[in-house]
Amino acid sequence: MLKEGMIALLILLPSIALVGYFVYASIGWNVIVSLTDWNTLKPSYNIIGFSHYAEILQDSTFWISFQNNLLLILLFVPSSILLGLFLAILLDNKVKGEGVFRTIYLLPFSLSFVITASLWAWMYDPSVGVINTLLQGIGLGFLKSGWVTDSGIAMYCIILALVWQFSGYTMLIFLAGIRSIPESQVMAAEVDGAHGFGLYRRVIIPQLKSSTLATFVILMVFALKAFDFIYILTFGGPGYSTFVLPLDMFRETFTMNHFAYGAAIATVLFVVVMAIVVPYLYTSSRRREA
Amino acid sequence: MVKVIIKNLTKKYGEVQAVKNLDLDIEDKEFFVLLGPSGCGKSTALLCIAGLLRPDRGEIWFDNKLVTNPQRDVYLPPQQREVAMVFQDYALYPHMTVSQNIAFPLEVRKTSKSEVVKRVKATAELLGISQLLDRKPKQLSGGQRQRVALGRAIIREPKIFLMDEPLANLDAKLRVYMRVELKKLHQKLGTTTVYVTHDQVEAMSLGDRVAVLKDGILQQVAAPTELYDAPKNTFVAGFIGSPPMNMLNGNLVEKDENLTIDLGVTTFELPHWMQEKVKEAKVSEVVLGFRPEHITLTGKYQVNTIEAKVEMCESIGREVHVHLTVGDNSIVAVTTPAEDVKVGKAAWMVLNEEKIHIFDGKTGGILA
Amino acid sequence: MKLPSPTRVLLYIVLILIAFLIVLPFWAGITTSLKTSIDVIYTIPVEPPPSPTFGPWMDALEVMGRPLLNSLTFTIFATIFSCIIGSINGYALSKIRFKGSDIVFMFFSLGIFIPYQTVLIPLVLTMSKLGLYNTLGALVLAHTAYGIPICTLIFRNFYKEIPDSLVMAAKTDGAGTWKIYRSILLPLSAAAFVVAGVLQFTSIWDDFLFGLILARGSEALPASVALANLRGTTTANWNVQMAGALWFALPVVIVYLVLGKYLIKGYMAGAVKG
Repeated sequence: MLKEGMIALLILLPSIALVGYFVYASIGWNVIVSLTDWNTLKPSYNIIGFSHYAEILQDSTFWISFQNNLLLILLFVPSSILLGLFLAILLDNKVKGEGVFRTIYLLPFSLSFVITASLWAWMYDPSVGVINTLLQGIGLGFLKSGWVTDSGIAMYCIILALVWQFSGYTMLIFLAGIRSIPESQVMAAEVDGAHGFGLYRRVIIPQLKSSTLATFVILMVFALKAFDFIYILTFGGPGYSTFVLPLDMFRETFTMNHFAYGAAIATVLFVVVMAIVVPYLYTSSRRREA
Repeated sequence: MVKVIIKNLTKKYGEVQAVKNLDLDIEDKEFFVLLGPSGCGKSTALLCIAGLLRPDRGEIWFDNKLVTNPQRDVYLPPQQREVAMVFQDYALYPHMTVSQNIAFPLEVRKTSKSEVVKRVKATAELLGISQLLDRKPKQLSGGQRQRVALGRAIIREPKIFLMDEPLANLDAKLRVYMRVELKKLHQKLGTTTVYVTHDQVEAMSLGDRVAVLKDGILQQVAAPTELYDAPKNTFVAGFIGSPPMNMLNGNLVEKDENLTIDLGVTTFELPHWMQEKVKEAKVSEVVLGFRPEHITLTGKYQVNTIEAKVEMCESIGREVHVHLTVGDNSIVAVTTPAEDVKVGKAAWMVLNEEKIHIFDGKTGGILA
Repeated sequence: MKLPSPTRVLLYIVLILIAFLIVLPFWAGITTSLKTSIDVIYTIPVEPPPSPTFGPWMDALEVMGRPLLNSLTFTIFATIFSCIIGSINGYALSKIRFKGSDIVFMFFSLGIFIPYQTVLIPLVLTMSKLGLYNTLGALVLAHTAYGIPICTLIFRNFYKEIPDSLVMAAKTDGAGTWKIYRSILLPLSAAAFVVAGVLQFTSIWDDFLFGLILARGSEALPASVALANLRGTTTANWNVQMAGALWFALPVVIVYLVLGKYLIKGYMAGAVKG
């Protein structure tokens, strides 16, 4: 009779093989490709070392993309978190119809980026789009803008749309975090004289640290790998003003057939994401053990 | 029906030694209790007997069949051991009805449907739960769930019953009732039973023999009365019996060829019958132990008694518990105090000298 | 926390205002999708359609009909596969003690976080080597494989909540590893299947990248890519575009409204979007 542990491994073997191949082996394969000279439609596996990575350092498109990713991290992440926190605090007030509000706020997050990008394309269209005609209609016509057709502010328009999409998710996380604080603690604080905003600032928000951290990490990773939305809304345009790393990788690889170079960009992306995720996972599993 | 022999059982969890070199001989048809505080290793030992845990070292035999021996890579899985187990949380399958729960062991063995129906019916009748057969566990009370768990255990007529604190989650009255029911069941079925509990009252009332464990080490195995009257060390002495045995530390001093204990506040001469034994042991620090019911209280000084201060009297109906202090030590006496014993005042404890114990002050082992 | 009355009014005002802002793009999309092409030009987007018509919806369906069917097919299959595999894996990792259990779990968990760009090139090469490129099979395989980690996580955490004593009782009752799964754990797994299923369904249905890379311009075109194409080619036919977007949104919205609370549980399990 087989030892139980053997049975478990047998059960897990197919998945280990699948994940091992599609995730780990594929990552390795990608790194190898990045070291080859494969830059045309026909695969070529001559190893030429790290020259593509050197190229990257000189590539202005790469740096614009990287900048935009940083912009996402610096603007999109905190805004989504703050807005989500704000909404969670608002909803923590025994609001009538809380369920309805929650449903509405969370709806964008459940939808595909293709849908939301299409909707926002309509919102942002300079001539007949929602925002400009609305502004015109209420007499604020001077605020009209090219929005995503204006390379100066296109990236910010994207960030706004993404905050719109993600705030429901961050709200969800914070609401759960707030509600996990025992009622008795809040009551004790109220008896001690804390109420209103002070109650939140002193008692509740400090206990949301782990929720905040988790959300931060998840959103930062998204800020680095966001592709769908930008591809559909602007495809990196106007010019290169809304290019991001995943988009740069895609264009190099699948539009221009620079497979090895694209693989190098993908590897850089991978390293940056792992630099955020791995320390987080490590410290959070440590904390769980403690 | 089967004997269980355990040799040198050892199991470690990380840094903690759960069970250490445990040797037990459980007789066929015996109701054998493993008793001790939490963390003493009793559940670990039970799980090893069941085959649900593998020990690091040791052997487990059912009659003359070796079922566990890690060194020789012998391990009979729980499915094949013909043991039945009752868990503290009953472990009833929540999605199955009572009759499906009870039938499960038979269903696993692909017993014929008619046979299953017959035996479920008989088992339910035996346990008085026939009217519950179509209910689901969440609709049952604690006592009812317990009986369903028992039903599932006895239906396949296993060789050994293993019970892990099955009465712990019942309220006090129900617990007493179920204790009696379990005892009756055991008398009827005669199956070898290994029963784990931390409740010494349960152990004393149910066990043919009781093994007392502490920190993974066996302290003493004996019939209940022997554990009560002749504990082997201070731990067993203090664990068995409620209120627990009173213990006072002291040093041995020889006075005119007779050993006395210097208890600090007073001295107490050891009775004759134990003089030789204690002298032989050649120790100086000792513990004097005496049970609450072996004390008589008087308000007047008498020779060779221990002076104490009366703190409080509790009358719990059929008994009076008198709480006293000797120096920093608390003493409980179960006795009817004499007229001249008053709260707040001194009293003298007259000990029943046949029944006192002397333990080695350093090791805790019994001397006499 | 109780606030005095005027502040409560303010609270509701703010909440409703934000709700409006959230709903605005949808409202604009819905009204536009019901307008004739002329009305699209001559009315402002947030105005309701003067003469509502389902014409744009029909037009969109012509383009998206087959892709919607494609998406439905590979989404359902991949969801079922990844859930079943996740459930069995979760069982093995939570109820069977063996050395390396934690390592295997970490092995899977890391897979949840990788940016897919990192594996795109190998993925394309793999699918073409397997002869699956540009077929539904590629999408089923890819989504199943990449869905295993999160499904395993969900089921493993779910099964950890089930008391070990149930499994121990089943063992002493004579049940072997498979019987324990089938007769004890599986019947109790309904909620986990819904959570994992709903999460997978929406993630896979919503996916764009894999569709773009593996099945663009083919019989197996997913609805997400078809919708993107709609945008690319017809920049002016906003009503058709919006209708297309709404067609694509429909299944997810239905799932969201009916099974929303399970989807939320899935999000809380550490699901990562995009």
